[in-house]
Amino acid sequence: MAGQSDPHFSLFSAEELEFVAEDDMVEIVPNLKMDALNLISGDFGPFAPQIATQVPLWLAVALKRRGKCSIRPPEWMSVDGKEGKRVKRSTNNLTQVLEAERESQEMSEKLPFHYVEISRLLFDHARDDIPDVYMVRSLIEDIRDVRFHKVRTDLEAFNGRTIAVKIKNLSAMEVNIVRPFIRRALQAFCKHDSPELIPEPERVADKRPQLVNNAPRRQLRR
Amino acid sequence: MTKYYDIDDIITEEEIVSVIFQKAASGVGIDPSSENDYIETGSKVELPFWLAHELQLRQVVSINIPSCFDQKTRLEIQADCASVDLRSRCPFFYEFGCKIAPVVGDRTIGFLLLSAFKNRYKELLTKAHTAAFSAATKIWSILTNEEINLYEAAQSSMASFKKWRIGGPRFQKAPVLGRKRNQLNNYSLNLSGVFDKKELLGFYEYLISPLSLRGVTSINSAYYFNYS
Repeated sequence: MAGQSDPHFSLFSAEELEFVAEDDMVEIVPNLKMDALNLISGDFGPFAPQIATQVPLWLAVALKRRGKCSIRPPEWMSVDGKEGKRVKRSTNNLTQVLEAERESQEMSEKLPFHYVEISRLLFDHARDDIPDVYMVRSLIEDIRDVRFHKVRTDLEAFNGRTIAVKIKNLSAMEVNIVRPFIRRALQAFCKHDSPELIPEPERVADKRPQLVNNAPRRQLRR
Repeated sequence: MTKYYDIDDIITEEEIVSVIFQKAASGVGIDPSSENDYIETGSKVELPFWLAHELQLRQVVSINIPSCFDQKTRLEIQADCASVDLRSRCPFFYEFGCKIAPVVGDRTIGFLLLSAFKNRYKELLTKAHTAAFSAATKIWSILTNEEINLYEAAQSSMASFKKWRIGGPRFQKAPVLGRKRNQLNNYSLNLSGVFDKKELLGFYEYLISPLSLRGVTSINSAYYFNYS
């Protein structure tokens, strides 16, 4: 939104979304010894070599670029969920998410809100820390395609009675892409399907007295 | 009257409609082919919509349905909405229809508009987000102005997302600053220019304890967006 040349689009730029996504916590394994950092946004504990710590993503990326840590990819970002010696298979992995997405029309809720931005940052900076990086990348792309296709099929079913659109579990980047389109489409539909433009002989299905229902019936889509 | 200053509204009202004069009018120079300035009762003249509307309020003329809403167009829209070339008929198809409908007294225009829009919208939705350039030029020529609005919104957001996805440097030097800047002092902040990435990393080393990394980053972003 900042620095937009065209004020009508009301779009967050992708870099801004990435900036916001960097607040998420991620686990790193530092290889340096450092005292605790007392920053405005929080205190990030003393760093000792080979001891895993939780830090925000921006700090993790900054440390990684100086070669002072290695980032452990988050749990949802794994191909099959088996991690080392853990016997119990994690339920949060990408192949399962992809299957769940393909089966149902609802969006899967297993992915975090900023999964697109986080995955891109990790691919750019921490490529060697992710096992099976090509597989992970292709899975995420597939998931993104399937979800976007679902968003599009949802959007097809507008009509003039829609005053709000509710799609659950949409991620930040997807929302950002469709935001200007949905806004204008809703405006156009509202303008064309307004009750005064169209006579309503067939909408008076129930012959109730005029006390009830002066305003046109509105429905919340899904 | 909220749309008084809206350019699109003004251009929409420029559309020509054909009217029939109910009264004789003299002293008007509307019809250039006639010899005198006199218009008979019952003669058919083409006028822009804003004029015809005003005259109809004074009951001087009666407005016919313009040609873009006639039977031929309706049949085409029923047959295949998505490829009807609305732009050549009337680039402001929907707006114009909304204005005409209360004036002409034809109750079915609303339905026509709505069904046309709904069907074309579905088509538009898929094509806008995914189309390559070659398909884009083909569809542009048949969209009305409102549809082009929608289309552009989707296209630009999709394009910026793709551009971000490819990657690239996060901070870019503003083209305004072409000349070399002085070396930064160790302990003074040079807040008048845009920092490029190399100097920013230098900052991190110096200022990691008193200032939050986050704080410095946000100052930089502010400057970046200022100059973009």
